[in-house]
Amino acid sequence: MSDINLKIDGKNLTVPKGTNIFMAAKNNGIYIPGLCYHPKLTQYGGCRLCMVEVTERGKTRHRFSCAQPVSEGIEVKTKTSEVEKYTKSVMEYLLAHHPLDCPTCDKSGECGLQDVTHDLKLSAGRFKTARLDEPMKRDNPLLEYNTNRCILCGRCVKVCKEIEGVSAIDYQNRGFKTVIGTAFNKPLDCSFCGGCVSVCPTGSWQDRTLKFRARPWELKKTPTICTYCAVGCTVVINSKKNQVMRITSDDDLGINEGNLCVKGKFGHEFINSSRRVETPLIRKIGILCPASWEEALDYVSKKFSEIMDEHGGKAIGGIGSEKCTNEDNYLFQKFCRTVLGTNNIDNISNIKSPSLNRLIQVSIKNRIVATSLEEIEKADTLFFVGADVTEAHPVVGSMARKAIRLNKTKLIVANARNIEFNSVARKDIRLNYNLGTQTILINTLIKIIVDEKLVDLGKVESSTENFKELRSLLKASDTGIRKASKLTNVSEDAIKSTSDLLAKSGKCFIICGKDIEEDPLAEDTIKALLNLCALINAGGSDKVSLVFSRVNNNTQGVNDMGVVPDFLPGYLDINDQSNRKTVEDSWGVKLSDDVSMKDTEDVFDLASSGKIKALYVMGENPIVSYPNGKKVKDAFKKVGFVVVQDNFLTETAQLADVVLPTSTYVEKEGTFTNMGMTVQRLNKVIEQVGNSKPDWQIVCDLAKKMGYSYSYTSPKQIMDEVSKSVPIYEGIENSDLAKEGFRWVSSVYNKSEPVKHRFEISESKLTDIKKSKEYPFVLLTGSSLRHQGTYSRNSSSLVSLASECFVEINRNNAQKVNIADGDMVKIESAQDKIQLKAKTTNRVPEGAVFVSEDYEWVPINNLRVNGYTNIKISKVK
Amino acid sequence: MGKAKKQSLQDETVDLSMAEKILVHYKDVDGCLIPVLQKIQNEYGYLRETIINLVSERLNMSVSEIIGVATFYSQFHLKPRGKHIIKVCCGTACHVKNAKSLSAKIVGRLKINANETTEDRMFTFEEVSCLGACGIAPVVVVDKDVHGTLSPDKLEDVLDRYVKPAA
Repeated sequence: MSDINLKIDGKNLTVPKGTNIFMAAKNNGIYIPGLCYHPKLTQYGGCRLCMVEVTERGKTRHRFSCAQPVSEGIEVKTKTSEVEKYTKSVMEYLLAHHPLDCPTCDKSGECGLQDVTHDLKLSAGRFKTARLDEPMKRDNPLLEYNTNRCILCGRCVKVCKEIEGVSAIDYQNRGFKTVIGTAFNKPLDCSFCGGCVSVCPTGSWQDRTLKFRARPWELKKTPTICTYCAVGCTVVINSKKNQVMRITSDDDLGINEGNLCVKGKFGHEFINSSRRVETPLIRKIGILCPASWEEALDYVSKKFSEIMDEHGGKAIGGIGSEKCTNEDNYLFQKFCRTVLGTNNIDNISNIKSPSLNRLIQVSIKNRIVATSLEEIEKADTLFFVGADVTEAHPVVGSMARKAIRLNKTKLIVANARNIEFNSVARKDIRLNYNLGTQTILINTLIKIIVDEKLVDLGKVESSTENFKELRSLLKASDTGIRKASKLTNVSEDAIKSTSDLLAKSGKCFIICGKDIEEDPLAEDTIKALLNLCALINAGGSDKVSLVFSRVNNNTQGVNDMGVVPDFLPGYLDINDQSNRKTVEDSWGVKLSDDVSMKDTEDVFDLASSGKIKALYVMGENPIVSYPNGKKVKDAFKKVGFVVVQDNFLTETAQLADVVLPTSTYVEKEGTFTNMGMTVQRLNKVIEQVGNSKPDWQIVCDLAKKMGYSYSYTSPKQIMDEVSKSVPIYEGIENSDLAKEGFRWVSSVYNKSEPVKHRFEISESKLTDIKKSKEYPFVLLTGSSLRHQGTYSRNSSSLVSLASECFVEINRNNAQKVNIADGDMVKIESAQDKIQLKAKTTNRVPEGAVFVSEDYEWVPINNLRVNGYTNIKISKVK
Repeated sequence: MGKAKKQSLQDETVDLSMAEKILVHYKDVDGCLIPVLQKIQNEYGYLRETIINLVSERLNMSVSEIIGVATFYSQFHLKPRGKHIIKVCCGTACHVKNAKSLSAKIVGRLKINANETTEDRMFTFEEVSCLGACGIAPVVVVDKDVHGTLSPDKLEDVLDRYVKPAA
């Protein structure tokens, strides 16, 4: 883009074409007052404050700087007497309306209106005041709205529409009666992202979690990384006297451009919750009793040593944490593999989708995987496959909306459920395939692209390894578009236009979601997806970027760090002797030969069968998060000794023999790796709550007790070791991350030579979904926007916002069995039953019901078995 | 919202078929909200919540946005309107000629305030700005008939004609 030269207040500037005068000035340190313009929103020009004098080709005119793009050679003056006179009178009008209730306003001290008033040195106005006296609107636990203070700048309306895609609020009425509000004045019903609070230049929108607990100038602001989902947004923790008061965001920090979701913005109350475990607990005569660290660690090391002596180290199983830092997890697996001498370690995400780690490695080597999540903003086509972005990764949704709004990016959403994704694009392609037909759908796309030569097949043949094999298989396949359309219940037109878009339209960003990853046929579907990507990549000119959904903040990291049975840190195959040798040399310990776990047998299977005698669980609640509740409970019953490290007394901790209290993400340092494989650093915000310790420290102390010299004194030292022994994290110790930067995008992409893609052929199979007369429905589970595990459960505001986990039932199904919204429904599988309130919807396909698995107090996993679970529903009278 | 939507769909028995027809006609037409609302209002008299919800679903637009538009333009009505619309002109000329006494007369007789509708849904009373007939001020327009140079007593007679049209 070409640059433009202009002069502002006598200063010569060069700015990119398309910049408006307001931003040109702001970026160069020249202040222009303004309340309605926000760089991430569309320009509006409603507050009338940013007036400047513009001289262009000898003509001098007054212009609103936010609405005026720069042009070559113009001269701008921001401080003429006329400009000042105009701006002042605009402010007089605003202040005639705005109540000057600053002493009781939470915004005071960080208020845009206050700042402008102060800058213009305004005192008394000439106009008679005409203020509203409406009551504060408090119809939800998180946000409150004060009409009286509103200056109608419209920022909140635009955030709601453009960033969140919700449009819950809009201008209502006209003229003097205009207010910001919901339709029919109903209670706010939105995604509660808090974007309105973040952009409001007055005290109209307020964060109720802060309300009257602190003044803005008392708050210490520390940026760090959010602990909920795998997007890895930068949050700014506002703390006072060692307590977290609220969370804000910074538009200039991190990948999220200041956008957050309801959990990231309001889900902080767990940190200073009274339910935190603050001291070690040891089970004595059946009851968990407080103990000292010394006592607890002595006991654990004694018990572990006894078990190791009697049964060998492999009799101890370890569960790592998707929530803890890379450093915590690295040390945890090192402790398990060296001190305990067991390779029976795992994490829940790997148990849920065991083939994913290997396939991600393939996609990295083939250069299919995205180098960072931000690539989404440059895409020409977005393809969400089985990914419920709105619920699972809301801020990725905001990024996608930005691309759609600014670049006219096309969107394709493929899901078995009719999931919600709202944006300014009203005509996106929806592929609502029949449950279990996803592999067929993707293979059909491949077939069409090849058959109709939508990409350069010659190039594909030369730049991939075995295209011929794929081609001959496609020829032999009898699943043409017509048959596929019938099987998947997606129209032929939609399949056709999807393959056209994917093959032809430049950069393509694909998100593979949890619905694919946790399907029993995940491996086949992902293989097909990789083939599709390789095909487009090799045959077209532009790059495909593929991202695999991860559930938690550090799900990627826990796998990277090797808290899996079959890979040493950095996905080094443990069965490969040279890998073992390298790691043994660097750790100075011989690794256990015993790698007994196969895909079919995880840690809890081994525990159920009595091969594992003790479990060491770090920051995980498998009793609820493991997909088969009955099995995991049996496993815990069988195991003789359980150590749980957690912030709260979770269902798992309640079964433990020793509970070790840990620090949350704001009380420790370390790094998280997001699902775009960007490593981001945490900052310590407050001191450890109670007697809790960071997980790495506990592991260190325990290792010392057991006679090993774990001499780490900080997470930094651990990361230094990681950078030496984990190839994919090589270089991190010298990166910006270690200095003052936040982020580190792994250089693994540039280092390794790209590998030719080898098409791993996957047949077009249907997921085996059993039919049962007695249990006619299929249970689907997935993410929830408003909750995620232990943390949100202990954040009281989130709980009062979403206190009920609903079972979503298809409207037609519900009508047949006479279930209406709000009815109590019994859901029963062969394993267990549960009662939940019903929500009838068209989001769930007929024959299925959906229950979120993120409401931790709803043990939906008790009903589940491997694969899809058959259930029946009945109304509770 | 889902719950509220569902309930209102069940409680009121509104024939949605005309609205459906209008919405099908404007399917995939960009910027069709105002014509859609106009047609629907023509058909149903006013914009009821049930139908707004339907419009929201079909046009993939939030209810708040639609209501934002509907409350901006005075041509749209969110409440039921009477069989006859009485508009009392409050422009400068009529004001000078004591239009207020006409408003008072209507308030007294029909027991409704401005922008309200009588319980029997016979009359809706609105105070409007200049109707452009200052020569015959004060003016009241009922439906499409203009009545000029009125006094409260004369207005009484005018109203009678609409109450008992046959007589």
